[in-house]
Amino acid sequence: MHKSSKSVNVYINAMRSMSLAVVLLVVLALASIIGTILLQNQQQTDYMQQFGVLWYWVFRSLGLFDMYHTWWFQGLLAFLMLSLVFCLWHNAPRMLREVRSRKVFITDKSLQRFHHLHHWYLRNTSKEEALTLIKKRLKDWEQKSSLEDDRVYLRADKGRLHKLGYIFVHSAILIILIGGWSGVQFGFRGNMSVPEGGNESKINFLKGTDIETLAMDFKVRCNDFYISFYPTGQPKEFRSNLTIIEDGKEVLTSDIIVNEPLLYKGTRIYQSSFGDAGSDVKLKLFYMDGSSKTEEVKASVYQTYKDSSTGISYEFTDFKPFNVENMADPGEPKEFQDLGPAVEFIMRGPDMETVKIKSFMNPFMRDGENLGSLLLVSFTSDARDYQPVSLGLDFTNPKEWALFHAFARHLEKNTGNDEKKNFEAFKAALKDVFGDTRPEGLQTMGSHIIQSMSILAKIPWVAIPVLDDYEQHYYTGLQLTRDPGMNIVWIGSAILCFGLCIMFYMPHRKIWCVLQPQGDGVRLSVAGNTNRNTLGFEQEFEQLIASISSNIRIKENV
Amino acid sequence: MSSMTMAMDVDDSPSKITFSRYYAYIGFIIGVVAFVNLGMSYDADAIFPALTSSAGLMWAFIGAIIAGVAAFSVASIRPELGESKAASLLVSWLDVAMGMVALTFVLAAFEPSVLEINYENQSNLLSANVIMTMNMVFIFSAVCYVAHMFAYDSFIGKLATYTAWAAVYAGGSGLLLRWHESYLIGEAMTDSSIGHAPVSNLYEVFVLLCCITTLIYLALEKKYEVKSLGAVLMPLVSAGVFFGIWLDSIGQSDIKPLVPALQSYWMKIHVPMNFVGYGSFAVASAAGMLYLIRQTIERTATSSHYLTIMPTLKQLDELGYKAVAIGFPAFTLATILGAAWAAEAWGGYWSWDPKETWALIVWLVYGAYLHVRVTHGWSGRALAWWTVAGFLITVFCFVGVNMYLSGLHSYGKLM
Repeated sequence: MHKSSKSVNVYINAMRSMSLAVVLLVVLALASIIGTILLQNQQQTDYMQQFGVLWYWVFRSLGLFDMYHTWWFQGLLAFLMLSLVFCLWHNAPRMLREVRSRKVFITDKSLQRFHHLHHWYLRNTSKEEALTLIKKRLKDWEQKSSLEDDRVYLRADKGRLHKLGYIFVHSAILIILIGGWSGVQFGFRGNMSVPEGGNESKINFLKGTDIETLAMDFKVRCNDFYISFYPTGQPKEFRSNLTIIEDGKEVLTSDIIVNEPLLYKGTRIYQSSFGDAGSDVKLKLFYMDGSSKTEEVKASVYQTYKDSSTGISYEFTDFKPFNVENMADPGEPKEFQDLGPAVEFIMRGPDMETVKIKSFMNPFMRDGENLGSLLLVSFTSDARDYQPVSLGLDFTNPKEWALFHAFARHLEKNTGNDEKKNFEAFKAALKDVFGDTRPEGLQTMGSHIIQSMSILAKIPWVAIPVLDDYEQHYYTGLQLTRDPGMNIVWIGSAILCFGLCIMFYMPHRKIWCVLQPQGDGVRLSVAGNTNRNTLGFEQEFEQLIASISSNIRIKENV
Repeated sequence: MSSMTMAMDVDDSPSKITFSRYYAYIGFIIGVVAFVNLGMSYDADAIFPALTSSAGLMWAFIGAIIAGVAAFSVASIRPELGESKAASLLVSWLDVAMGMVALTFVLAAFEPSVLEINYENQSNLLSANVIMTMNMVFIFSAVCYVAHMFAYDSFIGKLATYTAWAAVYAGGSGLLLRWHESYLIGEAMTDSSIGHAPVSNLYEVFVLLCCITTLIYLALEKKYEVKSLGAVLMPLVSAGVFFGIWLDSIGQSDIKPLVPALQSYWMKIHVPMNFVGYGSFAVASAAGMLYLIRQTIERTATSSHYLTIMPTLKQLDELGYKAVAIGFPAFTLATILGAAWAAEAWGGYWSWDPKETWALIVWLVYGAYLHVRVTHGWSGRALAWWTVAGFLITVFCFVGVNMYLSGLHSYGKLM
């Protein structure tokens, strides 16, 4: 019995020891680093690819992919809380006693030990008179004096509540941790995507490595989602118009934007992302067999369209109405330009390499010049490997398409390859398409066609897919949270700041004055100490000594 | 007896002028707040131009005059009421702020007209020149501080301090001018919401950091006469200046409209508060470095003229602590403000985002520093190293996280 209580004491002593606290702080800091270096909550397949099977399983079993929610990290935090509790339990009563205690009496021996100490002898003065002098000088200090034998003791304090600062700060951290814990325990935080016009009542969130869902007791309908832009082209605002539906009734309709969430019955609804909810797109296929045939493909994003005649399938993955790209050469200052609407899809087919394509609706304009249609092509199905392919021809202009074919036909007829024959063929082609009139932008058209002759010949596809039209449907990405611990955290934070201010800017300064009659005068000793800001106190004490000295001189000269 | 009390009062009571000036500033601030709440329909986008309009200035100056005159009469009638410690402590800082505002108004008069302002090419804006002036003066000041170590001369010392002040003024008004310019650009592009406080990208906050760090140092210098600390700190500030120049050279200094995530009043509070923390930790590390330097000199040479210039080891130790004592509460508050902002923008006050986590790491490191110092009685060499290491971690938290780690704070990213 005795032995066990002793060993418990050993543990308690260890828990409240400062060394443990410091070690805990450092360990917590080191552990936190891991989660910032290793990207958290990514796709498991990505981790597998990055680390290989062995290390993937080692890291996974340590929970490093969702590190801040593992038992061992939470255990560290719990340990910190425990250490704080023991610290407070052990030290708070002593500190409170110290705050309350204002012992006036001081022995000569302890007076001698003060670092800041000064003695005077005041002639022709009574101790009452001297006491008044001192009291006046220390008037913005808390004073307490007492008479013991023939001596007068005066104690003056400033910042007596300093120790309360410690108690405040440490309890505040405890309160914040409790608030955080109760938020995790009794709250939730998850995402939902709501397409325009649709509604949703479930949120998804990650638990460990799994995605879990939670049903809300209301539905959120997205009436509308819109993005507004600055005149400079950058997005300015993402705004969702939402309606909350509870028990089949519309209870609330409101707009939310980033930084301005909606609060409904303790649940906050944030604008967190947006994306394509299956926009309708229309591709135009330009056949490369010389037949000048075109064909329309109508589909929507996230769908796959299969062309039965050619066996080519188009899997639509994304659509964006704005595509701001860096147009500068590598190494040059970045220069952003909006290339307009574009659709992304994967093209698969017999006798061809599978490619991911980003096809733009508008021709590529640079410094006001039309440089023809543009595709981004990636052979790895990875958007990072996109290579720009300038097609030369402006496919949005049907006349150019016609002229291109007419030119090709005439070129075939005139065998030979010198410039004159090219020119003849072009002239004949012009006559075929436009008759005798000269179209506008002939020069651009001409250069497009010349360029495209060499480019298009190299393209191995049956047809070139170019985005022709679209009707966009957004989804709005919302984050829904409930955090019953949040207000506790704010209270803790307020106490923390308050406590830190007391701790740092209100050092406890103590002054003792001892007045002892001696002969026809008084012997005056002034001693002081502080627990913080020794440099500042040194100055303060010196000023005090100087002003007492000068007052004594004045008095003596009177 | 009465002559005695008189002598005492004159000793440490601020003059009537200080007292009334202090209240004039408070009146000024009250005037501004009253104008924002009563005088204009509140619009966060237009707050800066509204304040600098004649109506805004009128409210502010009426507030200042009323409060100043009232304080002067109170201090004249009842001198004991005119003794305010806060006044003597804060008034010189308010003077600095007012000086920067006044300088900005003067500089703003030389700004090109709206018709000449071009978003694509912002080279004709004045703030770039003012900030470049700051850069040059900071570097000059650093050179003076270092020279002062080797050639102890009171003129060089004074020059170092005055140029440091000049650079702070230039930086402060340069930033204020940039704030003004962001509205000019907004006017030029007919979208007033482009205007925003100049704490929105890495370039702007580097200017802010250099100025705040120097201000914290100058406050300590004023109080403790420690010019040798400047010889360590100002080269650090110059390093920041060079980083800013580099950012400018890669085209990161343009005024750009705010991304939606940054459109919040919290930005104006959270960001500068953070830099009070970072700046203090920089000063603490400079004190730590000087401590280590002095200790090395003491070991090799018993008498050196450097030793007479430098503060004693004990003083340096205390100065390091003092800087942490400024920085730690400020950094704590900044982190809490950041959490409050995150609760409004990201759906939770804490998301274990790399920036947040590194802020926590910095906080833990300095928390541990305070523990070993106060309760374990550590001091001297170990803590000097601790402040240096702590500052390196702080630098990583500030710049490194943006460069190497991805997360929600990505708008501070180097592109």
